[in-house]
Amino acid sequence: MPPKKSIGAEYLKGLWNENPVFRQLLGMCPTLAVTNAVINGIAMGLATAFVLILSSLVVSSIKKLIPSQVRIATYIVIIASFVTIADRFLAAFFPPISKALGPYVPLIVVNCIILGRQEAFSSRNSIGRSLIDALGMSTGFILALLLLSSIRELLGSGSFLGHQLLGSWFKPWTIMILPAGAFITLGVLLGIALLIESKTKARSV
Amino acid sequence: MNLSARMIVVLTAVGLISGSFLSVVGLLTKERIAMNQQLEIQNAISEVLPSTKTSHKVFEDESLTIYESRDENDNPVGFAVYASGTGFQDIITLMYGIDPSFSKIKALTILEQKETPGLGAKITDKTSFLRYWEGRNCEQPLSLRKPAVESPGNLAPSEVNAITGATISSEKVLDIVNLSLERLKEIKQKGQLSSEEKNAT
Amino acid sequence: MKENTFILKSSPHFRDKDSVSKIMYAVIISLIPAVAASIYFFRLKAALIYITCVASCLITEAVFLKVRKKDMHSLWDGSAIITGLLLAMTLPPSLSLDLVIIGSVMAIALGKQVFGGLGYNVFNPALVGRAFLQIAFPVAMTTWIPPSTLQVNTATFATPLGNLKFLASITEGSLTPLKDLFWGNVGGCLGETSAIALLAGALFLLFRKVIDWRIPVGIISALAVFTGIFWITSPDKYTHPLFHVLAGGLLIGAFFMATDMVTSPITPLGAWIYALGIGSLIGLIRLFGGFPEGVMFSILFMNTFVPLINRYTRPRILGERRRRA
Repeated sequence: MPPKKSIGAEYLKGLWNENPVFRQLLGMCPTLAVTNAVINGIAMGLATAFVLILSSLVVSSIKKLIPSQVRIATYIVIIASFVTIADRFLAAFFPPISKALGPYVPLIVVNCIILGRQEAFSSRNSIGRSLIDALGMSTGFILALLLLSSIRELLGSGSFLGHQLLGSWFKPWTIMILPAGAFITLGVLLGIALLIESKTKARSV
Repeated sequence: MNLSARMIVVLTAVGLISGSFLSVVGLLTKERIAMNQQLEIQNAISEVLPSTKTSHKVFEDESLTIYESRDENDNPVGFAVYASGTGFQDIITLMYGIDPSFSKIKALTILEQKETPGLGAKITDKTSFLRYWEGRNCEQPLSLRKPAVESPGNLAPSEVNAITGATISSEKVLDIVNLSLERLKEIKQKGQLSSEEKNAT
Repeated sequence: MKENTFILKSSPHFRDKDSVSKIMYAVIISLIPAVAASIYFFRLKAALIYITCVASCLITEAVFLKVRKKDMHSLWDGSAIITGLLLAMTLPPSLSLDLVIIGSVMAIALGKQVFGGLGYNVFNPALVGRAFLQIAFPVAMTTWIPPSTLQVNTATFATPLGNLKFLASITEGSLTPLKDLFWGNVGGCLGETSAIALLAGALFLLFRKVIDWRIPVGIISALAVFTGIFWITSPDKYTHPLFHVLAGGLLIGAFFMATDMVTSPITPLGAWIYALGIGSLIGLIRLFGGFPEGVMFSILFMNTFVPLINRYTRPRILGERRRRA
């Protein structure tokens, strides 16, 4: 087993080195589908963070009890429960957001980031470490969605969080709030991420 | 405990705990979610029939819901029709108000749509597309005017303006309204509307 | 001793007289009649769009070459100029110049340079730029003005295909006359309106063997057969194939865009498959789709299949056996 990282490094790895969106390319479905407005991106990020953190807590605390043959089934039941809670909560208290996110809230169940962290981390680490890991991954995911949705809302509607930022001279690029714009933005950001990665690697060698 | 027994016990326990937890959450949020939905319908009704004071459901099936609305003196204002159908991209859900004799559309509002932003999504524009529906004669099926005209005075009594560049979305809205109008008159003729009305009051 | 020497050299072993820039400049020459015709029909607006498009394509190309530390000479190989010209020819004459610049930057950046530059792009760069504009600014990209040679007093004007799809009824005879389509006296994108000017340039390219004749022939015949079948079965609902061939962007697409060397198949059989695919897709979109015109999407769609078509239509090496599946 590799030597344990410091707590700080455990948290920070989710932001860049193992960023779920830009480095691991996990959770692409919500990343592409709901980032057409900043508010939707943040809501999706928070809902995913809620599910990821609580699932990691539960899984790491009962990891010794779960027979390895049924671990995936158990994780899914746990994740699905938290997703349902998040979904009901949004529908009850934030109906417009719940409507905007549509089927993508229930679809958090199949978000690979969550199941991936349970399988790769929470099932073999202490409760504390799993919590830090989940927090780091969630922050990385929220930041990625925030970046993507900011670019898309700014170019696609000329606004940020619904506030009109660009004046009437700006002609909104409708393509950016459509699925095609999601792919273009993600592609460009991934290219930039790879460029930064190769530059920093070249320097450290 | 042998392995298979342990597997069964763990899965059952996890399932039971999650299940009971969820039923509590469901109970806690159920009322609020129902209230949200009802509020949405009520807002839509008072939007299409502004003088509404009370309203109640008089007909419902999978594609059509009809509400009868009355003003503060309990005089009938008209009916609010909640209908949906396929749009250019996804289901369009709309509501319109109609007078008690089914001769004029009072107002139309779009409740849900996923048409192309900036183009088909203009069906929600209250200052242009929806404005041309107010007061249209609906004794015969409505028709679409394309290309659109500037002033509503130039439209025939049962014509509505199409959206320039989004003819399909405009047509889909028109289809939903015409189809529901036809069904509305059918339901009225069969007397289903009045009989349920009596039951409700 | 000399005759026993082997020369070891990697391919290509045969070199043509043609160089990349020679071919590119032949294409530019062939576009001149259509460019001239559009400037005649749409006057200053057309000239400004051409200048803006070519200039911003060249600037974008130069920036990318600089950043990627490539040879600056390839800026003048003609490919960026062609992309600029072709993009301009697919734009509506009323488009404002800031949108023209956005389209040009996207054509070079997203259509060409992100893949690695000329020769590596999957899609025709000019059409990528146009597709971006079409989806980003749907209203501006479908607002047409009449040519200055037509005496009509309207600010907006329908294209012949838009007229066919949304307004005219075929039996009333309100369709655009074929004579106007042939000379270019109609509304539409800058370079697509004049059939005669496009054909003149195309003949030059075919004569110089710069483009593969199979591609335009395949596209036009597939569209003619497709629309012909519907015309014969119900002539009161569908219009005749000649209208479809002359109207819209079919000719410019078939001769100048689908034939782009980088994004079209290299084998003769592949060229036929590719061309028939494009032609039938155009027919399908025009008759049954939501858009009045389908040339751009059809070409882009078939561009994605080019690597696959090349792979499966590769000629067998002499003596190679067909592998059993």
